[in-house]
Amino acid sequence: MSVSTPVRESGVETRNEELTISDVPWVVIVWNDPVNLMSYVSYVFRSYFGYSESKANSLMLEVHEAGRSVVATGSREKVEKDTLAMHSYGLWATFQRADQP
Amino acid sequence: MAKAFKRTRRGIGGYLEPGERELLRRLFEDVIELLEPEEPAHQDPLAAMVGVDGQARVPEDSALLRLLPNAVGNDDEEALEFRRLTERSLREGKIGALRAAALLVEKREAVLTGEQAQLMSRALNDVRLVLADRLGIESDADAERLHGIDDWAKADDVDTYLALVYNFVSWLQETLMQAMLEGLDDV
Repeated sequence: MSVSTPVRESGVETRNEELTISDVPWVVIVWNDPVNLMSYVSYVFRSYFGYSESKANSLMLEVHEAGRSVVATGSREKVEKDTLAMHSYGLWATFQRADQP
Repeated sequence: MAKAFKRTRRGIGGYLEPGERELLRRLFEDVIELLEPEEPAHQDPLAAMVGVDGQARVPEDSALLRLLPNAVGNDDEEALEFRRLTERSLREGKIGALRAAALLVEKREAVLTGEQAQLMSRALNDVRLVLADRLGIESDADAERLHGIDDWAKADDVDTYLALVYNFVSWLQETLMQAMLEGLDDV
């Protein structure tokens, strides 16, 4: 991801607990790319998923630093819809079964 | 020189010079052209009506692939099937946002509603994705390298010009995002 001025002070708190994905069958993964602005990715997570500022920022940073992050879980129908929404925003996202690597 | 987008009581205000508006309009139109589906000769009218495109395939153009990525991890066949069911409406949604953005930059000064701001942010982002592909930005280091290019007097070659355009659109989108994020804080 890319940072552009002006940089916003982010109220990032300690990393959220690891998502437990074993009991939900499907996941949406967002992948890092060098283009999408951190502010934009955070905005999308907050406005589309309704996540808090701190949760959105920590997911955004996980994408940036780890290269990918599971941003949503649920039924196949839900992750299909979420993945398409991410694509409509220009984020690079895929869905897959939670038990796949 | 354009002004940063700013949140006001009436909405998100923006100001662009005529040359900048013309540049953005052309960029939006270029991406629309890239996204417009080729109409196959024997299109099934019913399939077209429900947005299914049995002919859809993985784009060969890397910029178009970035706009319309594979959606299914670890399964190319499933990804192609999913593309056939969804790609057409994804293209149409993106074209809609780009058309709206092209209309919004027709005025020198505009005050955007929340919905218009979101359409503008999506359109600017898709423009940046295409420019980044043309500039070969594949890593954070690539992006970093272009970051300092901001002198229009030195736009002597296509790559420098594209980098200047990319940095301008990035700056504009960043100011828009700050104004939109402020709006979320108010909720």
